[in-house]
Amino acid sequence: MPVFPEIFGWRFLFESAETNWLDMRQYWFHLAILGGLAACLATEGKLRMGVAAPMPNPPGATVKGTVKFKGTVPKPSRIDMSADAKCVQARPGGGLTEEIVADGGGLQNVIVYVSQGLGDAKFDPPKEPAVIDQKGCMYQPHVVTLRANQELKVVNSDNTTHNIHPIPNNNRELNQSQPPGVPFSMTFAREEIAIPVNCNIHPWMHSYIAVFKHPYFAVTGKAGGFEIPNLPPGTYTITAWHEKLGSSFQKITVGESETKTLEFVFKAQPGF
Amino acid sequence: MYAIPAFARKYNLRCSDCHEAWPKLNHFGQTFKDNGYQLMTGRDAPIFQQISYFPIMFRSMPIWHRESDNRVPADIIPGKPAGGQVETTLTTHGFDISGLDIWTAGTLYKNMSFAVEPAIDNNGKAHLATYFVRFDNLLNSPWLNLKVGKFELDTLISEARELMLSGQGGFYQSYHFTPIGDQTSFGIGDHQLGAELMGHSKNDYTRYAFSVLGSNDGQANTTPSSYDVYGDLTQAFELPKLGLQTIGVYGYLGQRPTYFQTSNGAPISGAGRGNRSFSRTGVYGLWYFGRFDLSTFYLHGQDNVFLGNGVPANQQFNLPPGAAGPTWNGGFVEAHYTYNPQLILVGKWETVQMSRVSNPAMRKNLGDVRVWTVGYRWYPIMSSRAGLAWHQEYARAVTVGTAPLTGRDDTASSFLMGFDFDF
Amino acid sequence: MRTVRVVGVVVLLWGAALSLAQESKIGNLTGHAKSGKALYRRYCITCHGSHGDGVGENAPYLDPKPRDFTRATFKCRSTPSGSLPTDSDLFDAISRGIFNSAMPPWRPLTREERADLVAYIKTFSPRFQEEKPAAPLQIPPEPPSSSESVQRGAELFQNMNCWSCHGKEGRGNGPSAHNLTDSKGNPIVPFDLTSGMHLKCGDSSQGIFRDLMTGLDGTPMPSFSDAMTPDQAWDLVHFIEWLQSANRGKGFWAKLASKGD
Repeated sequence: MPVFPEIFGWRFLFESAETNWLDMRQYWFHLAILGGLAACLATEGKLRMGVAAPMPNPPGATVKGTVKFKGTVPKPSRIDMSADAKCVQARPGGGLTEEIVADGGGLQNVIVYVSQGLGDAKFDPPKEPAVIDQKGCMYQPHVVTLRANQELKVVNSDNTTHNIHPIPNNNRELNQSQPPGVPFSMTFAREEIAIPVNCNIHPWMHSYIAVFKHPYFAVTGKAGGFEIPNLPPGTYTITAWHEKLGSSFQKITVGESETKTLEFVFKAQPGF
Repeated sequence: MYAIPAFARKYNLRCSDCHEAWPKLNHFGQTFKDNGYQLMTGRDAPIFQQISYFPIMFRSMPIWHRESDNRVPADIIPGKPAGGQVETTLTTHGFDISGLDIWTAGTLYKNMSFAVEPAIDNNGKAHLATYFVRFDNLLNSPWLNLKVGKFELDTLISEARELMLSGQGGFYQSYHFTPIGDQTSFGIGDHQLGAELMGHSKNDYTRYAFSVLGSNDGQANTTPSSYDVYGDLTQAFELPKLGLQTIGVYGYLGQRPTYFQTSNGAPISGAGRGNRSFSRTGVYGLWYFGRFDLSTFYLHGQDNVFLGNGVPANQQFNLPPGAAGPTWNGGFVEAHYTYNPQLILVGKWETVQMSRVSNPAMRKNLGDVRVWTVGYRWYPIMSSRAGLAWHQEYARAVTVGTAPLTGRDDTASSFLMGFDFDF
Repeated sequence: MRTVRVVGVVVLLWGAALSLAQESKIGNLTGHAKSGKALYRRYCITCHGSHGDGVGENAPYLDPKPRDFTRATFKCRSTPSGSLPTDSDLFDAISRGIFNSAMPPWRPLTREERADLVAYIKTFSPRFQEEKPAAPLQIPPEPPSSSESVQRGAELFQNMNCWSCHGKEGRGNGPSAHNLTDSKGNPIVPFDLTSGMHLKCGDSSQGIFRDLMTGLDGTPMPSFSDAMTPDQAWDLVHFIEWLQSANRGKGFWAKLASKGD
């Protein structure tokens, strides 16, 4: 594996003793570094990695499966929204906490994604925005996935003012008030799984935003199922992340047009 | 001798925040002091302190020192004064203590500060060195602060916060010089009893002080019934790349009785008579050039002829022929190199020279003094709770014509090293 | 291979020089990180820590906690929420201090010293090299206050849900106030608008306007830049000043804490 030490956030390619098919890439990387240095001198900007060779394009593989929850599902508690009469109006039954949602053994709201194996391949973000909605004083969806630099449209479908407050570790933190119907958008520049989002006005509102550099991710639905299509053949680490139960991962290798099925199991933990 | 870790504990700041190298204050620390020991963050009133906090500090210094003087009169044959005396060089050395300072200072309430210092000398004898209450920021203005009690006169070069501690080098000659034969009990470095009105600009670049003091050099329980005045004005300005420069001008105008009313021959305390005046005026400066800085000081002293000759004002006939009021000029240059907040090198050169002696029969430069001092302080720890410094210093003083037997120049030197700690 | 190494080393050394060659520009003043480093060691390290992460020796005993410079998230800015502060914002924060916290006003330091500190603080987070601060807020002239403006401000206070944290009477005791935390998880209380106390980021009408439009990043206080027009924001400023005026300098805590100026 080439060594990429990070110094001041800059990556340098040093010597690598690698198999032949990577020699081509080394040539491109040398050119890229020299070109980047020239650009740097001209603009006093940061050295950026050169454009990598595009990924080869044989028919992709599919990784699918289920995330299961083993043990007694803790009962969700009812959320008291009486702090804001407009929330009570919008959601007369009140809401339920969404920390662990598992019906019939399948765990919902788990992000399953490729965490290793794609190298430095670059993928342009889609033009369509991802959407997060504040509805009935709860976030919909509970887990939002999107790409780095893809627009996230924040919608306030309620009759009361919310504030959208993501608290990232690897991205910019911001905090914006949003009255009913006023549009607001934001983007995240770097990959981060996952950014907690709160509304401070309605402190029971929680959601998570996962930002990816690549398109190979999925969020489990009601039955705990997920599917990641069009994966280029190769060896990958697939990680399943849950907001409360942690992460686990599995390594797989897929060939052209292969479908692999995985199962992740999260166990009930005391205290939840 | 003031550096107060109690403030560090109250505000969670290190010594180096307020002190260039404690006890010498930097501009931030001087501003804190001028604000009445308040940081102006809204948490100065004592109600905001940790409930277990108590604003008391101790400073002491176990030392080893060596003193030498080349004009000490000694019996030629020890034990036989009849055999005559001769001036000899006397050198002594040993472990010792440099005294113990106990200090408590802080705020009684928002904009009300206080300080009390019962200082204990190295014989264990205590005296009340400082005690005052100060009403800060009167009428919501930093230009009006009123201090009442016993305190050091307002100056930016404080003897109490000197970086030198030895027998010959640990004080400023100019702050205490009294000509030979002069009876004026006064030193501008002595703590005085009285009231002071002081003010400063918000950034503490412009400062003034005006005080009314008792004519008793700070002695409690004497009620002298006459008063001295003191004024001080300083102005700071920034020089690009070099730092903050400050100049100051001051003047002390005082009076002392030359005799007392007596009862059965014994003087009645407070019933001084025949008051005659004296003055101390001068300028000083603080000059910063990055890590190197200089403190310069000049003083012109003038005492009335009766004070200068120790003659009561109602006995003019007792004045020696040609008697005059003594005048003198003194000054020093003190250099510091603050390598970092934990290491400072110090050097001082000082002189006081008579310009007119009180009695023409005296030598024209009788009592003139020249002192130079070098030393350094190393602070192995720098925290916001307590302090420790390793101190080494050498000082050498020459006084003109004061050898008791021969009237020759007297040379004395001190070498001191020890651990100066402050809690 | 060798070319890459040589080039790599050159760029590496240049990067190292760049990192401490960080400068700050405030008006016609230029600060240098190299000088700022010595000043930081003397004045700042005890709270903000040797890595600038807010974990100095005193940090466990302080509330609010010292700023973590490595996150480059700052409360008092003139730039939109999510953006870096300008050099002037940092300079003003250092000079003014943060009222009702352990951060003193460092105004007694010379302007050059403060500019040097700003330059050094910027070296703690790579964000200062990767991004530029967004354009600072332009504060429009303030329309005169009036009882109608205060009334409109009161309605905004209601509709923008300010009361949910600041309380119906502005006393900081709203229904959502009791378990607010800052972005590091430390408990934080909403400002009591009736206390007559000084505000953290400056007291003037312009200061309150700016707080509303930029938000206090790192805390639950959001920016209302997309939620209100400037005129509406001025109405809200007038309402807030009306809440403050009744008690300015007179409340018990205000008397004890006020700067007296």
